[in-house]
Amino acid sequence: MGGTSSKLSKDLLSEYQELTFLTKQEILMAHKIFSELQDKENGPYGARVSMEKVLTLPELKSNPFRKRICQVFSTSDLKDGSLSFEDFLDLLSAFSDSATLEIKSHYAFRIFDFDDDGTLDARDLEKLVNSLTGETDDTRLTGEEMKQLIGNILEESDIDKDGTVNLSEFQHVISRSPDFVSSFKIVL
Amino acid sequence: MRRMSVFPQHGTALGNLGRTANEIRQEAENSKNVLVSDLVNLSAGARFQAIRSLPMPFNERKTVRNRVNSVKLSKTILTADCRQQVSRSFRRFCASLASARQHLIIWQDTLKEIGSRFGTSVLSYFLFLKWLLQFNLFSLIINFCFITIPQIVHAPNISSTTGFRGLELLTGVGYFNQTVLFYGGYNGEVIVSKPAYNMQLAYFFTIAAYLVLCWVSLIYSMSRSFQKNFVLETGPVSGGAWRLLCSWDFSVVNEKAIQYNKNNLAIQLKESLSERLQEKNKMSLSDRIKHLSLHLLAWLLSLGLALGSCAGIYFLGTDPDLAFSFNHNPNDLRAEASTLLLPVVVSLINLIVPLLYSLISKIESYSNPRAKIYISIIRNVVLKMSVLGILCFYWLNFVPDNISCWETFVGQSVYRLLMIDFIFCLLGIFFGEFLRNVIGTMCIQSLGVPEFDIARNVLDLIYAQTLAWIGIYFSPLLPVMQVLKLFIIFYLKKISLSMNCQPPKHTGRAAQIQTVFIALLFFPSFVGVLSMVAYTVWSLKPSDQCGPFQGLDTPFQTIFHWTDSIQNFPESNWVWWIFENILRSELFYYLISLIVLVITYFLWQITQGRKQLIKTLREQIVNEGKDKAFLLNKLQNLQKERREIASYRPQDFDQTPHFNPNWTNTLPLNM
Repeated sequence: MGGTSSKLSKDLLSEYQELTFLTKQEILMAHKIFSELQDKENGPYGARVSMEKVLTLPELKSNPFRKRICQVFSTSDLKDGSLSFEDFLDLLSAFSDSATLEIKSHYAFRIFDFDDDGTLDARDLEKLVNSLTGETDDTRLTGEEMKQLIGNILEESDIDKDGTVNLSEFQHVISRSPDFVSSFKIVL
Repeated sequence: MRRMSVFPQHGTALGNLGRTANEIRQEAENSKNVLVSDLVNLSAGARFQAIRSLPMPFNERKTVRNRVNSVKLSKTILTADCRQQVSRSFRRFCASLASARQHLIIWQDTLKEIGSRFGTSVLSYFLFLKWLLQFNLFSLIINFCFITIPQIVHAPNISSTTGFRGLELLTGVGYFNQTVLFYGGYNGEVIVSKPAYNMQLAYFFTIAAYLVLCWVSLIYSMSRSFQKNFVLETGPVSGGAWRLLCSWDFSVVNEKAIQYNKNNLAIQLKESLSERLQEKNKMSLSDRIKHLSLHLLAWLLSLGLALGSCAGIYFLGTDPDLAFSFNHNPNDLRAEASTLLLPVVVSLINLIVPLLYSLISKIESYSNPRAKIYISIIRNVVLKMSVLGILCFYWLNFVPDNISCWETFVGQSVYRLLMIDFIFCLLGIFFGEFLRNVIGTMCIQSLGVPEFDIARNVLDLIYAQTLAWIGIYFSPLLPVMQVLKLFIIFYLKKISLSMNCQPPKHTGRAAQIQTVFIALLFFPSFVGVLSMVAYTVWSLKPSDQCGPFQGLDTPFQTIFHWTDSIQNFPESNWVWWIFENILRSELFYYLISLIVLVITYFLWQITQGRKQLIKTLREQIVNEGKDKAFLLNKLQNLQKERREIASYRPQDFDQTPHFNPNWTNTLPLNM
């Protein structure tokens, strides 16, 4: 086995506990998994893990939004979706049990915003529907159905009638659906 | 607490058109300063939570925290330092308590596995089971400590013991008759020890305290669940927005399950689209009459079936040959086995009639699938509660006149019902799920894999729990059986789920159905039990030869005797005074009811006012949107003009409007 598995110092651990919603066990588990990903990377310790390696995790492997999740949480300058350990903790913290509704809805909005323009317009919604309904022909929605569906959604959620769903409108829809907090969850 | 926002207080794209990079950076810096000063003014606990909830990357949160700490440090005086130390160590203690609790929660890993494969709605069944288990464990512990142990230590003289035969485990008679399992095994003597321990009072108060705690816990869960899940729904709700935006279950990890969920979602979206189209076509009058009459017919059939089963049970129970043959010849094995006839019939009714109900519901057509689920739940609840109701009526009216130690008889009947229900549950898992899966996949392909029917399973759990609650007064150690039963059912259902079933297709609104289940556990189930126990304690004459309340007119008289005895002691006179003048006077209850009604009326009015406010605010937002569109238009026109002029005279303009590519970060959070 290559690479020493270094342990987290107590100071770092308490700092992570203070700044994220994760418990001590969850942080240690995250550290273990992240170190394994880094070992496979064969890079220097503390380096970022590329998006492909992160997507080998079983929790993210089949998620329809896996690429968007990596891109949203990545703070790398190259915009390549690579995650440092703090980014990884941010990811787990936003998807954890104790995260607040605001954090979850904020990140959900950014994940669904495929073109990163700050609002969910018709194209974003179309991409969202396609990633959620599967790729086979009989489950895909026809063009007519898609237009109708997007029209319905905008009619229901677009309160200021500007043709897009912005963050506040999205959070308003979320607040009326109490299932969201329990379904927006990824646990290692 | 004001929502924290690190972003500029106003504007989206509009706010940044026509600004330089410096101006934008200055703006961000200002808002950060505002954020830091806000955070500094919070208490420590709120501050930690607020910093955690900032939607920024980790390093920025760290910078904010460091700045807040440095500001705080420059402001603190020495005495405040101790307080900070204390609060910091208290917070660390709470955090370590929380992580220790995680170790103690049973089934943590199993539940996570179930959630990841089958989604949160199936998980809710198992969470409900775990919650019921906690009720029973608690009852077991307090009954065991306060009633059983004193009774075992000071054992009464047992008149006659019969040997232990195997059949006892099923029927609960014979060897178990005089043990502490049933009411008859207790007697009401005052145990002479250093503080005298009055068994009668202990029995009464333990059961009363448990029921009161259950009441409080159920009301608390119900109201919290209601508040979370039945939020005010104004505006158009029937569209697909929530289904698309909120219902995707991220915790499902298994690839096949994800594919399955995707297919389901596609089907549901298409269904809701076609429903919307259909809604626009009004139904003709004759169609409406036809639907209504079909509904009426279905309801009549269901209620008729329920009434028929109740009548059957009552006649079976009061049949003179069958009912008490065992009590007349206690050593006859056949008579003992015949006591099992009634429980088997009850369980068969509980098994077959719901199937008939689902057949009946096929003739009806519903406008939406949620109505279908609710109506089937209501019918099943009516059936189960009327069966239980007729059994209680039989136990409280017919049995006391005919049998000497009737409470033990009732306890044994409940025991038998629970055991047979458990056996039928096991058979149901085997036949209903395992064999059905085999048939569905190998023989008749069109049937397919059976779905895990959450509503039916949860109603079975509620039925069993109601029985267990009824039995607690008559058999204090009955929770042992219920705890064992729930444990075994948890593991069997989990195995059966993984091997045989697939998750239900129509998931939606799982949280609301959860609230309905908790409400059902409270309203017909617990309230019924409470009224039955209250009637028994208040009005029925306890049996003369056995039990802790021998010789009294009603069990409630122990309280009268106790308050009379207390009256003589001056220091506890206030207890007697409260009992006599407050709890026993009707005026007190009238006053309380009046006050509660007035408060309810006020709160209702406040709700109405808030609904009106929401409507007005929505209209305001629509108007603001129109204003925004108008201003955006005007700004764009102005900029176009500016650009055209600049192309003619470039020397007048030394800075071009800088478009900030990071303006996605400037979305206002506190709209």
